[in-house]
Amino acid sequence: MILTTRRLSVLALALALPLAASAADYKVGPGSTLGFSGKFQGQQFDGTFGKFDAGTISYDAANLAASKFDVTVDMATAKTGDGDRDAALPGSDFFDTKKFATAHYVTTGFSKNAKGDVIANGNLTLHGVTKPVALKVAFSPNAGGARLSVTGTLKRLDFGVGGGEYKDTSTIADEVLVNGSLNLLPK
Amino acid sequence: MPLRSDHTRWSTAAKTFHWVMALLILGNGAFAFWMDGLKPSLQKINLFALHKSIGLTVLALFLLRVLWRAIDRRPPDVPAPRWQHLAAKTVHGFLYLLIAAIPLSGWAFNSAHGFPLQYFKQFNLPALVEKNPELSDTLGMVHVYLFWFLLLVLVAHVGGALKHHFIDRDDTLRRMLPFGRAKRMPPTLPGDTP
Repeated sequence: MILTTRRLSVLALALALPLAASAADYKVGPGSTLGFSGKFQGQQFDGTFGKFDAGTISYDAANLAASKFDVTVDMATAKTGDGDRDAALPGSDFFDTKKFATAHYVTTGFSKNAKGDVIANGNLTLHGVTKPVALKVAFSPNAGGARLSVTGTLKRLDFGVGGGEYKDTSTIADEVLVNGSLNLLPK
Repeated sequence: MPLRSDHTRWSTAAKTFHWVMALLILGNGAFAFWMDGLKPSLQKINLFALHKSIGLTVLALFLLRVLWRAIDRRPPDVPAPRWQHLAAKTVHGFLYLLIAAIPLSGWAFNSAHGFPLQYFKQFNLPALVEKNPELSDTLGMVHVYLFWFLLLVLVAHVGGALKHHFIDRDDTLRRMLPFGRAKRMPPTLPGDTP
């Protein structure tokens, strides 16, 4: 009899959760990556950020209005697998990490596109410039938490990344893909 | 000017291959030494890309030239001692070898360093070898030393041509000059009626 009551209360809680005003809060677990892909001389290169801090990852597919991402990225930790490039990226011609140590992304809302994909709309502050950036969201809950994948594109010149002669998009493409694959654990 | 070579001169095609490639190879070599000393910049990156594109053009012309050589006739060798013909053939062999080896070593150097290879900003070519910093250093040296070796062989090539022109006063050089042809009629071949 006691067992049945407990089961019922669990069921009631499960039913009530989607109606709750707040989405589930997560923290970023091991095995998470945040990266970007650019194009140099017609060839793609991939980079990752060694350090980033997900201040808020709050998500509920059934309650997008209450969902929120707030992530800060340590720009000096960008690595692309090429010594020359990795030496140049933090410099004043590109990320200028002395002046702009971090990039910050915070969502302003979520929507769905025609295909039914969830789109995170938010503002990215990068190199001191704030512009809207949309990210496609794929969220799949699993036993320990959830897997969250986000992808989007931005134009580096919108953020003044690559100044002076490095504005030349015939050598360094303007478009940059950003991607995140986060292993989320309950907070 | 004839497309194909005859008794009195090399064909327009053969002359064009010879002089265009000579110009591209020496120009690209001088260009490389100059740009290598520049401070790092995007301009330098683009200049290197240009150097690579010119080198690839030389490699493509080399392949076409070898193909053309197989089809075309050749003017007969100017009479000379056997050792001189042998020396000329050896020098030509080395020139051909180096004309292919220099761009190929540059391409491999570029691949080992992990750089992309884009032809005049139009399309990309695959890497010849995997990224490998040690191999990259070696190939970089090989690339430069092969060019020095080419200059050495070139001294023999140009020296031979000038010796024929000014000392022997024969048609060896004249028939390869852009608008030149043999001054004297070549020896009549058996069966030919002048």
